[in-house]
Amino acid sequence: MTPATSPTTFALLTPEIILVIAALAVFLGGAFAGLRAGWLVALGGIVAALFVATVAAPADGVSGPLTIDGFSGFVRWLVLLLGALVALVQAGDGFRRAVLREAQPYQSTAEEAGVFLLLVAGLSLAAVANDLVLLFTGLELVSIPTAILLGLKRTDAAGQEAGLKYFFLSLVASSLFLYGVVCLYGIGGSTEMATIGARLRSAEPGTVVIGAALVPLAAGLILAGAAFRLAAFPLHFYAPDVYQGTSPGNAALLSTLPKVAGVIVLLRLAGLAIGPVAGAPVGYAATATLDLLWPAAAVLAAVSMTIGNVMALGQTNLRRLLACSSIAHAGYLLVGIAATAALGSSAATGGAAPGGAISGGGATLFYLATYAVATIGVFAALTYLGHRWPVWSATVPRPPREEASTIADLDGLSATNPIVAFAIAVCLLSLAGIPPLPGFWGKLSLVTSALEVDAGGWSPRRLAFVALAVTLVINAAIAAAYYLRIIAAIYFRSTDRGVQSDGGVGAGVGMIACLVLVGLFTIHPQGLFRAARRAGGAVLGARSTAGAPTLSSPVSAVATVAVDAAAAPEPRLP
Amino acid sequence: MRSLLLVLVPLLPLLAGLVTVFAGRRLGPRVHLPAVVGIGAAAIAALLLLFTAGGASGTGHGTAAPVEHTVELWRWATIDGALTPADGSAPRPLSLGVTLRLDPLTATLLVVITSIGLLVAVYSIGYMHDDPDQPRFFALVSMFVFSMAMLVASSSFLLVYVFWEAVGACSYLLIGFWYRRPEAARAAKKAFLVNRVGDFGLAIAVFLLWLTYGTLDFHDTRLADGTLVPGILGAARLADPTAIVGGAIGTAICLLLLLAACGKSAQVPLHVWLPDAMEGPTPASALIHAATMVTAGVYLVTRCAPLFVAAPGALAVVALVGATTALVAGLIGTVQTDLKRVLAYSTISQLGYMFAALGTGTLGGFTAGIFHLVTHACFKALLFLGAGSVMHAMGGVIDMRRFGGLRTVMPVTAATFLVGALALAGVFPFAGFFSKDEILAALHSRGWPDAHASGHHDESPAAATPPAVRVATWDRRAAPPLIPVASGSAASHRAVAVSASGGAAADGPLDWLAGPRLYRTLFWMSLFTAGLTAFYTFRAVFMTFTGPLRLPPEAHGHGAHGHSPHGHDDHGPSHGGHGGHGATGHEPAGGHGAAASHESPPVMTRPLVILAVASALAGVVLFIGHGLARFLAATPSLAAANVAATAVPPVFHWDLAIQGTLAAAIGIALAAIGHYGRRSDGPSVERFLGPLQTLFARRFYFDEIEHAAVVRPLEWLAAVAATVDRVVIDGLVRSVAHVPVALGGVVRRFQGGVLQRYSVAGVVGVLGMLVALAWNLWL
Repeated sequence: MTPATSPTTFALLTPEIILVIAALAVFLGGAFAGLRAGWLVALGGIVAALFVATVAAPADGVSGPLTIDGFSGFVRWLVLLLGALVALVQAGDGFRRAVLREAQPYQSTAEEAGVFLLLVAGLSLAAVANDLVLLFTGLELVSIPTAILLGLKRTDAAGQEAGLKYFFLSLVASSLFLYGVVCLYGIGGSTEMATIGARLRSAEPGTVVIGAALVPLAAGLILAGAAFRLAAFPLHFYAPDVYQGTSPGNAALLSTLPKVAGVIVLLRLAGLAIGPVAGAPVGYAATATLDLLWPAAAVLAAVSMTIGNVMALGQTNLRRLLACSSIAHAGYLLVGIAATAALGSSAATGGAAPGGAISGGGATLFYLATYAVATIGVFAALTYLGHRWPVWSATVPRPPREEASTIADLDGLSATNPIVAFAIAVCLLSLAGIPPLPGFWGKLSLVTSALEVDAGGWSPRRLAFVALAVTLVINAAIAAAYYLRIIAAIYFRSTDRGVQSDGGVGAGVGMIACLVLVGLFTIHPQGLFRAARRAGGAVLGARSTAGAPTLSSPVSAVATVAVDAAAAPEPRLP
Repeated sequence: MRSLLLVLVPLLPLLAGLVTVFAGRRLGPRVHLPAVVGIGAAAIAALLLLFTAGGASGTGHGTAAPVEHTVELWRWATIDGALTPADGSAPRPLSLGVTLRLDPLTATLLVVITSIGLLVAVYSIGYMHDDPDQPRFFALVSMFVFSMAMLVASSSFLLVYVFWEAVGACSYLLIGFWYRRPEAARAAKKAFLVNRVGDFGLAIAVFLLWLTYGTLDFHDTRLADGTLVPGILGAARLADPTAIVGGAIGTAICLLLLLAACGKSAQVPLHVWLPDAMEGPTPASALIHAATMVTAGVYLVTRCAPLFVAAPGALAVVALVGATTALVAGLIGTVQTDLKRVLAYSTISQLGYMFAALGTGTLGGFTAGIFHLVTHACFKALLFLGAGSVMHAMGGVIDMRRFGGLRTVMPVTAATFLVGALALAGVFPFAGFFSKDEILAALHSRGWPDAHASGHHDESPAAATPPAVRVATWDRRAAPPLIPVASGSAASHRAVAVSASGGAAADGPLDWLAGPRLYRTLFWMSLFTAGLTAFYTFRAVFMTFTGPLRLPPEAHGHGAHGHSPHGHDDHGPSHGGHGGHGATGHEPAGGHGAAASHESPPVMTRPLVILAVASALAGVVLFIGHGLARFLAATPSLAAANVAATAVPPVFHWDLAIQGTLAAAIGIALAAIGHYGRRSDGPSVERFLGPLQTLFARRFYFDEIEHAAVVRPLEWLAAVAATVDRVVIDGLVRSVAHVPVALGGVVRRFQGGVLQRYSVAGVVGVLGMLVALAWNLWL
């Protein structure tokens, strides 16, 4: 491990710095020039950051307030990719608004783009944070811009209500999370994660007492803080109202980027308890954390997916339906977290994990990526669609346009907008987990990792995870009902509405990009899966077992040679 | 270079298909270009591959070092620990690679698929000229060529399954191409459903193979950690006959594979879909339902030859099914009056021939099966395209009783059709003669093993001492004067026969079937079928092209443009109005411009001429020096130890050739007596069959029997199930389905939209969780 000094820290933060500079440029440009191309600048900034993060990926093993390991590298790459996709959709959203209010020119584009850049920077920071304070800062840099975006995007009453609700509830969640952080600080006596991890795993009597007192609070409160960001029970209530009340672009943001934050927090917490050395002796506090984390995560997972799916069954509003479905997907992600904690616990007490690595983390990250791409694809398509209006003739006055927001609005879409219809159908089928689409591989890897827990024999824990896997599969079946209802509307109903797609080019490009990614992950899921598994292994302790520096992003697998060359002259302090 | 070519062969038709799908309408009258260019380039690539696929064989007696070249395009997915082997070794991943392979078998079939595909595509330019749905047609043909090329080039059972379904889908869509016509829609549905039975067998076979062998790849693969996983048909396994699972499991796998092959290759009892499949456009029938797709079953069995040889019982079933199909379909074919249906039954019959050859389980049998596949692809495509040409000129009429004497108006079609018929009937020196002879020889060698080992055709049981070798040879240079080799292979040949007849190693549940007696019966059946083939083929030739010239009214001008080819009795004035607008989705008819029937345009007749040349020469070219057999022998599946052990020196069996030719001559003579120069709607020679004629005409009542034995009970069961479902299950399910909905109602009640309640509920939930955690840890 190389402690990062200040200059290297700045070098490591290049992607985030680029994002912040782009944000400042957008803010300033917006003030002076009414920059309508704010989203283009934002997109350029994100792509530049993505480029830097990919090509100039620093070698792993840097540690300090920031850590660059396989995990943070992969997550940062994922965040920037999703950020770029959402920015495309948001750009379309802006154009849509401009069209919607012809009378009143759309002014706030620049601020939106700037705020969004800050959000991405915050999330990216959370991915590389190795310090609780930095982690919390990063997370807040996600929450606050999200609330602002919700308020900015839609100026009607519903939009304001959504923004306000999200803001207040995120405050509650952040305070809960902060209490959890405080408890961790109480155990570790430091805000450095490495120190906290070492203290968690140490077997000193003092630690044991403090751990016994604080571990339930720390684990529970941090889980609660993550649950809000994942939109998981019991902090999921905001999702349907907020999604419905905002634009599809914002819904795309809400359903993906905060979930990444939640996964970061939970995998980091599990990683602290599991420690860097597989099979090393583990202290009481660490095992207690894991043994509390898995049942709690499993219960939240089961409840979240069930609540989300049964709520979605009766919905007619598309964004509300997808909000409910995103609650369910948060439940699926928590299955991976629960499996991670349980596998880590058995690895700590009973030797090495099966296969040498803990599969839960990789499965979670893989599922997250496949879910996010498909979800953004659906929202991008809805944004691109914008409005559909009834067919009119010259003799009849043109009827008012309606925003495509309910399932009925998609009736007969396959006839009028075949490509949009196809994109929505493919993304929804992937979300439903129909093979061979990526959502299927994701669910498969989650179920596999859940069934790996205590695979040798029959323990109560194994029974619990088998039950969890069965719950997941049943829920996938329930979910298929409402996804297929939408697809049926698109393909099997007829409509009197005409072709309309006033959501802008950006959203169309975003939709196609998501479709291409879904296709790519369908024919070649292996690349993403391998990268996700490596990342999951890195956060959960495979770090020290892997001799060679692991690559931080799937794309950089191409640049192996370059990275190796860059890694060689890395200054190493004693 | 080789890898690139191998990838290009499927890729180019795929690209052509995609271009046609996305830009088809924009191409206007040149919509055929992508398909013709793409498939043509693929054909060139396939021809080049042919020269690189050969082995360094030439040792003369059919055994050769296996030649295999695999290209892994990408690894689709790896699922760790998917299989825990029963022997307690480390769990294995399910590794799904997308790998193409090149070996002589694949190369041969790629050439057949792409070259016939090209000729059919060119022919279709003329044939589909008037059809408004040309883009769909050419897209489907391209996609079919892609799928079929992938099917034979895939190196894994999973991919074979995928493309097995893909060619089935293309076939379904092409049979139902004129989907507005109820017969076409019904035929497509029938083909789909019958094939489902076979596909089900393939799926179960793939599962069993995975459980038995722990891999689905044909070739040997390496895991990430460097351990070698021997592929099911990999070099490591094929060198060692004991590594191939026989017995009950092996027999079950082979029978399931056979079920799959029966579906796709239209073997009894799953043959009923193929005659109805003639509702599709004739070029599609020629390509898919005569030359290529229907031979997928032959390919599958040949590819799995080592597995089948390890399960002699299953092999016997293959031979039995094949010979039975050949005979039954041949009998049905003798009384059909629809030209395309005669050809359809002939296809079924010839496929049965191929299966009979494969069922011998000898190297000679497998190569004979593929040899016949190749020659059959040439002459059957020719016959179908010729029938299409007739249909084109007759205004969509294909009932042979309604026209006759066409040789004067359609000289090219008549001449090429005659060549195809001679090849099909197996007349020397046309293609079918040689391949049919090989098949008869393979059957004969199993029926009279000692005769073949010794050269005497006596039926005495095996002599204890190694017999002297005296082989009759047709080509001295090709026949090996190697007595030790010959006697060795004769001995090993007998070993196979012994094991097959229930001796040494046989332990499969059906192995008692595989005795010489069975193969003797099958040989006589096949010989009789050869005569039948000649009869029905020339019956069709004479009915169509000889006798007084008669034309159906549809053939004259525009009057009947768009007639249903099978609706021959209802051509009333009501149909007259259809003329001119081709958008009705009917079989394209002649009469665009010409007032009377005429020879088809050159774009249609040239492919006929090329195919006629191929049909005339393919047999002798591929037979000289047993070129094809030697080439194929380097295929890993056929160079496997247990298959190569069955090799016998290549010889030309004069006696069998004479018997086969006699059978053909008798068939042709009977057809000539009955039909040459007569009105095709007059009394026919078949009336002497008496009640049998009805039996054949009703196709042995297969459809009725299957309807009564399968469809009706299923419908009955479905009705019962539907009632139970409605009354019992539905009530139950509805109440269960109400649970999520009702639960949703309850949950939604919490979504009141009031912020304070949300926060309170959230905090209460978190507190509850904390209490539970603390309880868990502290108490």
